[in-house]
Amino acid sequence: MEIVRQAKIDQYSKNVFLDFARRLFKSKTACFGAIIIFIMLFCAIFAPLIAPYEYDAQKLEDMLKPPSRQHLFGTDEFGRDIFSRIIYGSRISLQVGFVAVGLSLIIGITLGALAGYYGGVVDFIISSITDIAWAFPTQLLAIAFIAALGPSLVNIMIAVALVSWSGYCRMVRGQFLSLREQEYIEAARVLCMSDMRIIFKHMMPNSLAPIIVMASLEFPKAIIVESSLSFLGLGAQPPTPSWGSILSNGKAFIGEAPWIAMFPGLMIMIVVLGFNLFGDALRDVLDPRLKN
Amino acid sequence: MVPVILGMTVIVFLILHLAPGDPVDLIVGPNITPEVYQSIRQKYGLDKPLIIQYFKFISHVLKGDLGKSILQQRPVSELILMKLPVTLEIGIWGLILSFAIAIPLGVTAAVKRNTFVDYSCMTAAMFGMSLPTFWFGLLLSYFFAYKMRLFPISGYGTWKHAFLPIITLGLTDAAITARIVRSSMLEVLRQDYIRTAKSKGLAQKVVIYRHALKNAMIPIVTLLGMRIGWIMGGAVMLEIVFSRPGLGRLMIDSILARDYPVVQGAMIVLTSSIILGNILADFLYAVFDPRIRYK
Repeated sequence: MEIVRQAKIDQYSKNVFLDFARRLFKSKTACFGAIIIFIMLFCAIFAPLIAPYEYDAQKLEDMLKPPSRQHLFGTDEFGRDIFSRIIYGSRISLQVGFVAVGLSLIIGITLGALAGYYGGVVDFIISSITDIAWAFPTQLLAIAFIAALGPSLVNIMIAVALVSWSGYCRMVRGQFLSLREQEYIEAARVLCMSDMRIIFKHMMPNSLAPIIVMASLEFPKAIIVESSLSFLGLGAQPPTPSWGSILSNGKAFIGEAPWIAMFPGLMIMIVVLGFNLFGDALRDVLDPRLKN
Repeated sequence: MVPVILGMTVIVFLILHLAPGDPVDLIVGPNITPEVYQSIRQKYGLDKPLIIQYFKFISHVLKGDLGKSILQQRPVSELILMKLPVTLEIGIWGLILSFAIAIPLGVTAAVKRNTFVDYSCMTAAMFGMSLPTFWFGLLLSYFFAYKMRLFPISGYGTWKHAFLPIITLGLTDAAITARIVRSSMLEVLRQDYIRTAKSKGLAQKVVIYRHALKNAMIPIVTLLGMRIGWIMGGAVMLEIVFSRPGLGRLMIDSILARDYPVVQGAMIVLTSSIILGNILADFLYAVFDPRIRYK
């Protein structure tokens, strides 16, 4: 009987997932966004196979060459192939996106869950800190963190995580404030379940939808903040091929070699567009109330 | 508001004071005698506990004293007063342009919901949202300044120097703002009083601009307060793109040179201007919603 019951649950879960996937990919914008994300992931994972040259391979006789068959996106002031640097740069953007969003999720969800579940003094302290962090403009706060930590790729990931957690915290707190009054939570308390078990086994799964949507929409913001900081010289240091730093190099040669700045910016725009489109479609499927 | 301001000063103070590295090394370099090292720490108050340093810092800030630049040996407030107008010029005009574009665009998209006009507006807004501000600035600079020579490539002084940065900031912010204006209008257009106004036979323009938009303005004014922070961040970026000698450029150069008093002072001034913007937004609530005036 138990085996049959488990098999029915597994079948139901599979059907729910298939139904979700069907509804999601019914949307053309979701498909378009997913294709862009897939291409970016593919480039990042198989960069050494796709890129025709190493990202730091210099050839001074080829410096500042326009796009051609040998160099699809042209070359920079050191003769480095821009196409190869952009392919390798996708790894940087993905790394920053995943690490920064992951870290900010951990911080935001933990604090939001504690504030929403316990309430009282805990909620007051965490909400006050969250409101202050939320009031700070993202880019300026990230710049302040980089000023303290020093320019580097790892510090950018930390800075982006530290400026993004407050949104998750507010979201999770709001969800938990309404969920903790539900009868099944009261029943769990009556059954003497520990607070951590109630939070992670019962309340967290019911809060996942808006968190997933928010994370999908924060990912492109992390990419933009990283490329902005690298553009300012506060991020990935040479010769690391961050899209922002390639763009920053290109600024000095905008007149004679505009391709150095054009292509990385175009890549940032396409990837961010892909994530935004996919995130919007995900939001429409998972929680249409968030549309407004 | 007061706890937020105090919290911001604490964060700015802590971020820079807890940074690795010794500020004394920046002032005189690492190769000094222990006696000189101690006297410099005493002179700059670095030997006191952090909480005493913070209260001393706050008391100076309230008197308008933001310290002295380690590199330039000039008062930080003097440097900031020189640079702030350059940043505010593109920040304020960029915000005005953004709302001047976003409000009509968002209203049109909402009124003509699910038509070609709506889809075009929102597609344009989606592209605008995905556009990195600094890249868009470079594109405009290349086409209109370098190629067509209609505007100067960089610098500050005339309206021509400010035109491209303002357009860049205004258009990129308008994309995000238009989506929110559309959402807000859709919410209001669904209301019963709008249906009543239409069934009374009022012209569509009267229904939209006299009834719907006025009620949709509350979330839009909230947005104004929130966007000010984004606009100031964008203005900082564009000063690097267009080589404008503003507060953003001063801050970035100071970060790279580890001139912390300048970074601290610039952060406080920028965040204070954002808070003032939010206070202005609070006053505007009373303009658009008479019920708030009487509370």
